[in-house]
Amino acid sequence: MAAQLVVGIGGDGSGTAAARTAARVANLMGANLVLVFGFDPSKLAPRGGAFEEEILAVGASAIEAVTAELAALYPDLQIESEFVQERAVDALILVAEARQAEVIAVGHGGEGPLRGALLGSVTYELVHRAPFPVLVVPDAASDD
Amino acid sequence: MTTAVHESSVPTKGLKGGSLGLVAVIVIGVASTAPGYSLAASIGLISGEVGVKAPFIVLFAFVPMACIAASFFYLNRADPDCGTNFTWGARAFGPRVGWIAGWGCIVADLVIMPNLAGVSGQYLVLLFNEKLAENIWLTTSIGIAFIVAMCWICWRGIELSARSQVLLLGTELVVLALFAVIAISKAFSGITRTTMVDGVQTTYTSVKPSLSWVSPAGVPSSAIIAGLVLAVFIYWGWDTCVSVNEEAEDSATTPGRAAVLSTVILLAIYLVCAFGSVSLLGPDFVTDNADDAIFALGQVALPTFMVKLLVIAVLTSAAASCQTTILPATRTMLSMGAHGAAPPKLARIDPRRLTPDYSTWLFGIVSILWYLLLVVISQNTDTDAYSASIAAVGMAIAVYYGVTGISCIWYFRRWLTTSAKNFLMMGVLPGVGGVTLIYVFVKTIWDARNADYGYGTLFGVGTVLVIGTVLLVAGVPIMEWCRTRYPTYFTYSPDPANLVKDPNSDDTLAAPLGTYVKGGR
Repeated sequence: MAAQLVVGIGGDGSGTAAARTAARVANLMGANLVLVFGFDPSKLAPRGGAFEEEILAVGASAIEAVTAELAALYPDLQIESEFVQERAVDALILVAEARQAEVIAVGHGGEGPLRGALLGSVTYELVHRAPFPVLVVPDAASDD
Repeated sequence: MTTAVHESSVPTKGLKGGSLGLVAVIVIGVASTAPGYSLAASIGLISGEVGVKAPFIVLFAFVPMACIAASFFYLNRADPDCGTNFTWGARAFGPRVGWIAGWGCIVADLVIMPNLAGVSGQYLVLLFNEKLAENIWLTTSIGIAFIVAMCWICWRGIELSARSQVLLLGTELVVLALFAVIAISKAFSGITRTTMVDGVQTTYTSVKPSLSWVSPAGVPSSAIIAGLVLAVFIYWGWDTCVSVNEEAEDSATTPGRAAVLSTVILLAIYLVCAFGSVSLLGPDFVTDNADDAIFALGQVALPTFMVKLLVIAVLTSAAASCQTTILPATRTMLSMGAHGAAPPKLARIDPRRLTPDYSTWLFGIVSILWYLLLVVISQNTDTDAYSASIAAVGMAIAVYYGVTGISCIWYFRRWLTTSAKNFLMMGVLPGVGGVTLIYVFVKTIWDARNADYGYGTLFGVGTVLVIGTVLLVAGVPIMEWCRTRYPTYFTYSPDPANLVKDPNSDDTLAAPLGTYVKGGR
């Protein structure tokens, strides 16, 4: 089985820069790229049906945009995607474990450590919890 | 070579990360009903209706709510949509009933927001300064800030970790239980308090608790109905426990056990608190201090530091309750928007936070306007619009839970007679709950038309009737407006009875809403 690089993609397209970097590396390695969209709406109210579908639609359009861009750049690269109903951090760790990933790549929106800790930054939590190497790529750097 | 969507390598259910343990399901069930806040907001009004019989009403109100929970459980198996009553009503009786059921849910959530905000504003000020808590504009500004803060939290999708929730809820329950036990023991030894309000001297004396307080003997039926419409409110939100049940780990035993345990905890805490509240200085004291009953009682029963804890318990509980009010309302709005029954904007999702942003802020803004309207009315007329809205929300809950119960029977009519268990769980229980609640609703309309129902009058009729029905009835023209703009949803027909699947089998999900259309197949 080819090596696996796991990338977290947010509904707003955050993590696209990480996906570009990971795609470049995966292309050189002959590895697979796995784009992961994790979501876990609050359990304090019913959350099935329409809510789940709307969220999945948001995730699917973000993933499709990244996939289309990378597929054009690297026609030989194998790109897969996973939609996991877990908090984004848990989703990434679970997928990385299931696939024995080489690395998890995520974006960084530029929030400071206090903001990140208080408001639940995926990147901060992942760096502290993931039993895998984590590659952090600033989102803003993608615009060059 | 590229694949767009790949089968997940991670099973979403039954994993440690995502599934809920016993404690988590109990915490969600109990926190959603917000016992501290529910008591603070309603115990004074309940004792005003039934006096020392408050423990009876508190127990009795649980019966229709528990019956309705059965319909939530089964309908959720057919369609676990976030629009709950809206989608189920549409499947059972067609688009209009569904629309109005969804509207009823949104209205109930909207009507309660001023009370939530008001209690939070008042108790937050009470924490620091008692005198200032009488300044309505101060508490109102804090209340508005509270609504904004809670909407922001819902929009950001911030959630407390499971451990902090257990800690907060645990503190709340322990403080409430201590308060009740101390109040009851003081009542047994007998105490007296004299208060001076506006030059009028009143003496309150404790009443020895009696087991007869849990029996309805001697309570007029009109008082029982008036009490019920207030008391259904304290169990509102308990049904959330049913919808998260499906996600519990080891779903064969955990859900049942969690539902039973959370019920026992809720009933026990409400019962002892009801006993403690009305016995400490008699029911009149609770009624005369209805605005901040739990605080007033706490001051008599507890040492200062524990009064502060009690106030904090009410505050955290109000915050939890606010979340469990905003979330269901906005998710019903989202579902209505997504299914084409209302403007599609309502279903808009913030791509970063993955929450319904448009619905959340719309609900927040309308809540604030509604809150200000109530404050202005209460300040400028003899009407207590503010307390009346608790009874009005009881009416809205009664009607939309009632519709859910009846929907369950009608929707599953094909399966009712296949086994005794089905007949009981999908027929008798929802029927008893539905009929009781709809009766409470109709009787309240009938009683509240009189000016002497309490809470004052608006336009010559009881305020409860005005708030409770005007908002519900206002849904009809809005529905008609939606029908002209979004006609497709209104062509849907109810699910054909012979295609409704057995909710006890493995394959329970109904075809998507809109599969069956009038005149079509």
